[in-house]
Amino acid sequence: MDQFVVTTVLGLVLGAVYAIAASGLVLTYTTSGIFNFAHGAQAMLAAFLYWQFTVPWGLPTVVALLLVVGVIGPLIGMGLYQVLMKGLRDVDEVTKVIVTVSVLLGMVQLSIWVWEPAQPRKIELLGGNTNGIHVLDTLLRYGEILIVVAAVALAVGLRMLFTRTRLGVAMRGAVDDPDLLRLNGYNPQRVALTSWALGAALAAFAGVVVTPVIGGSIDAGTLTLLIIDAFAAAMFGRLRSIPRTFVGAMVLGLAATYMTKYAPTQYDWVSNLRGALPSIVLFIVLLVLPQDRLRGTSQQRSRERPRVPSVRQALVWAVVFVGLVFLLGKIANPVMIGPWVNAMAFAIVALSLVPLTGYAGEINLVPLSFSAVGIMVAFHLGIDGIGVDSRLSWVGILAGVAATAVVGGLVALPALRLRGLYLALATLSFGGVMYTLVLREINVRHWFGLDIALFPNARLIVPRPKIGPLDLDEDTTYLLALAVVFAVLGVLVVVLRNSGYGRRLVAMRDSPAATAMLGQRLVLLKLGVFMFSAAIAGLGGVLLASAQGSVSGDDFVITLSLVLVMLTVVGGVSYVSGALFGGVMVGVVLTSLAGTSGNLATTNPDLAPTFAFMAHLGGLAIALTGLGVRTNPTGVIHAISSAYRPLANARPVLYGGVVAEVVLVALDLTEVIGDWSFALLTLLVIFTLPAFAARLMPEAVLTAHEIEERERAKADTVERKGLAAPLTADERIELDAALGLSMGERTHAGV
Amino acid sequence: MPGSDALLQVDGVTVRFGGTTAVDDVRLALQPGAITGLIGPNGAGKTTLFNVITGMQRPTAGQVVFDGTDITRRGPAARAHLGIARTFQRLELFLSLTVRDNVRVAGDIMKARRRGSFDVDGETDRLLELTGLTAIADREVSDIPTGRARVVEVARALMTHPRLLLLDEPASGQTEQETEEFADMLRGLAESGLGICLVEHDLPLVMGLCSTIHVLDQGRVISSGTPDEVRASPEVVAAYIGAEATS
Repeated sequence: MDQFVVTTVLGLVLGAVYAIAASGLVLTYTTSGIFNFAHGAQAMLAAFLYWQFTVPWGLPTVVALLLVVGVIGPLIGMGLYQVLMKGLRDVDEVTKVIVTVSVLLGMVQLSIWVWEPAQPRKIELLGGNTNGIHVLDTLLRYGEILIVVAAVALAVGLRMLFTRTRLGVAMRGAVDDPDLLRLNGYNPQRVALTSWALGAALAAFAGVVVTPVIGGSIDAGTLTLLIIDAFAAAMFGRLRSIPRTFVGAMVLGLAATYMTKYAPTQYDWVSNLRGALPSIVLFIVLLVLPQDRLRGTSQQRSRERPRVPSVRQALVWAVVFVGLVFLLGKIANPVMIGPWVNAMAFAIVALSLVPLTGYAGEINLVPLSFSAVGIMVAFHLGIDGIGVDSRLSWVGILAGVAATAVVGGLVALPALRLRGLYLALATLSFGGVMYTLVLREINVRHWFGLDIALFPNARLIVPRPKIGPLDLDEDTTYLLALAVVFAVLGVLVVVLRNSGYGRRLVAMRDSPAATAMLGQRLVLLKLGVFMFSAAIAGLGGVLLASAQGSVSGDDFVITLSLVLVMLTVVGGVSYVSGALFGGVMVGVVLTSLAGTSGNLATTNPDLAPTFAFMAHLGGLAIALTGLGVRTNPTGVIHAISSAYRPLANARPVLYGGVVAEVVLVALDLTEVIGDWSFALLTLLVIFTLPAFAARLMPEAVLTAHEIEERERAKADTVERKGLAAPLTADERIELDAALGLSMGERTHAGV
Repeated sequence: MPGSDALLQVDGVTVRFGGTTAVDDVRLALQPGAITGLIGPNGAGKTTLFNVITGMQRPTAGQVVFDGTDITRRGPAARAHLGIARTFQRLELFLSLTVRDNVRVAGDIMKARRRGSFDVDGETDRLLELTGLTAIADREVSDIPTGRARVVEVARALMTHPRLLLLDEPASGQTEQETEEFADMLRGLAESGLGICLVEHDLPLVMGLCSTIHVLDQGRVISSGTPDEVRASPEVVAAYIGAEATS
């Protein structure tokens, strides 16, 4: 009995931590309409800062706590809102998600940079790890009491704030009706700013206390994913109700503690299951949540829309693309092929996002976790032969693809009745379950009459495929095969977009209400596209595993998926080429960033710190590219193609570029210039083409409007006088005449 | 009382949001082949009533009966299948699509449901012609003026071959000439048997088109009848037209 009481108390303490984290999330979401995926990352930064202040710098606990929770935390929150989130009120869900995901990734990069992950760091519980009062022979530490008291006070306080005070009521109205709020004398921006400051302080507090409560040392990954625990709790209150969120947090805390205490210890999966518990609870909550009411959308009519290629154009591009990859295989140094093989496989995984996110506007944050499903099934069902002679069979690939589609449907189904954000959260939870539970199923178990380990020895060896007589073992062949698969799927996706099905997907994204009113059952449509998307991710995953030769659980960490999703959206998630962009960035750029700086540091030990600095800076820069979707939601590819589109009218310039490129290929093949020079010169040719066109054939590439602007800049019209040089006396007279001012008035107006 | 031959019956429908009652025990009937007007000041509950009829809003109390079937608990898509279509006061166009594709996608949905027996392209052309949109069919729907955009919503709704069409302020943003053509089109549609319910602030248009008018104020039906009866009703003069006359 005493044991039970003690366990319960510990559960309440853990629940209190969740409650604090979740309340902050609810607070910022209700007042700004932005779900802050970086909430856990903020907690993580706070934990590291607290460690920095208390351990190496030896500041007193109280000072460190005040600095982290009272000053730095709120400043980060306010900074985030003021600089990044403010303009996001009316943008689509994908943009909102990607911006906060980018902040999350940036913060993780920053923490790795400043606090070398290999070093263990422990922080003490507030009030010390050993001080406290004895209850029923068990030490109840002061810090634990403080956490519970703080959580209760917070829940009561926030509840009162929301229901009893004018500011609180104003906060709740900030999302639903900012105009009404303004009429009542509140500035919705300031209300949201306040809540972001408060929310960030709560994240910081949760970050400082969570590590000593769970035990162990500060871990950037674990703390960042505190976001999953937080939103699982917040989901009890539909991300809005503070009291229900509090209850949800306590349920999670108690369940986790009871499970650790009472679940039979002979099963090694219990501790993994505990880690996956919030995700599992989230799915249950999603199942029982009532259906969302269809609401109208606040439509922005002026936004730039992605272009839709015709099937013909897609076919041409597909052929050109395969040709280019064939050339790449011929030209590139064999060492360079490996990253490109990975890139192509990543690109196929990223392609799964084009129909789902690009067309239908739904979000899957963890495509690689779905890939893992496909890989496991292919591994168990599809490997023929042993050792170096083993090959992946088409049966394995197909089984993997089919299994991923089915799992995708099952994961998505509970969330499909709800708003897009919930699907994003459900996928993130699925990523958590895969990483903490399924991919750690490394021991043989007895499942339904079969003795099988899902992820044997923590590493799956996946050989290259062999389809009939076609053996894809060799790198260059495999690269070309992947390019063909990508091209074929790319064309298929474009065909889909141009079909009635594709139009229905786009219609659903643009206006779910109108689509439903035309007789479309939204759940069916979403389910279909999610399963299709998961199938592509499964295929990409199997091909990726086969590209790398083997995969371990850490290849499916959630942050890698987030990077891939973010970079695909940065590239342009409505474009097949956006997926290619995402794949190349992850497969080639990120990998070589780490690899190259490591190699350079080994060869030039003196400069090692510089190279490490460059690598960290590069990583951070890439993590933050997601912030760009705020101003350019259609993506880089769209922007680039807009710049190159007019070149079609300047054929001579285009031909000149092709000739230059042919010369470069010839020079490279005859080894007059090296691969690197070739790559750089190629980029130079590509980047300067629009500039050449604008200079040599302005009438062909510039719009009438741009030419007019140029003309006006040249001609000295009255309006432009005084801009480049000060006005002369004659010009003043001319201006005054044009404005209808007499000399007298002008002198009055002075200067 | 609503007759039994009514296409749609709204029976004692009440909608409460927290403390406020947006629609209060409303009873009315819509007939096939007739244009019914629904007027009232802003916030009277007209759009909420549309949302209840189309399934976007569950009523707190009351029933919606379509062609003898109680549809109160059915979703929007199921009601569309039965033959209810609507347009939106705050436009709900598919902004990534052209005018033609906005209409065509409604046909795509029909075709997917009927497993193929639907000539999407032919129907699209016919409706674009009927609504006078052929000339701007290939423009991006985000680029066209609001008045035309409202007609796109009507064409899109007609694509579902509805038996009842609910129009939420379709004439706002239309020029005078466009409104006249629009009124003629509605008369034609009603003659072919379509039941139409019109929420509109353009009173001359409503008075000229509708055979029956219901006046809503603060969620209640305060008057029902022919345009002449409604115009003469003292409650209406007080609550609605009176307010306009003094301004």
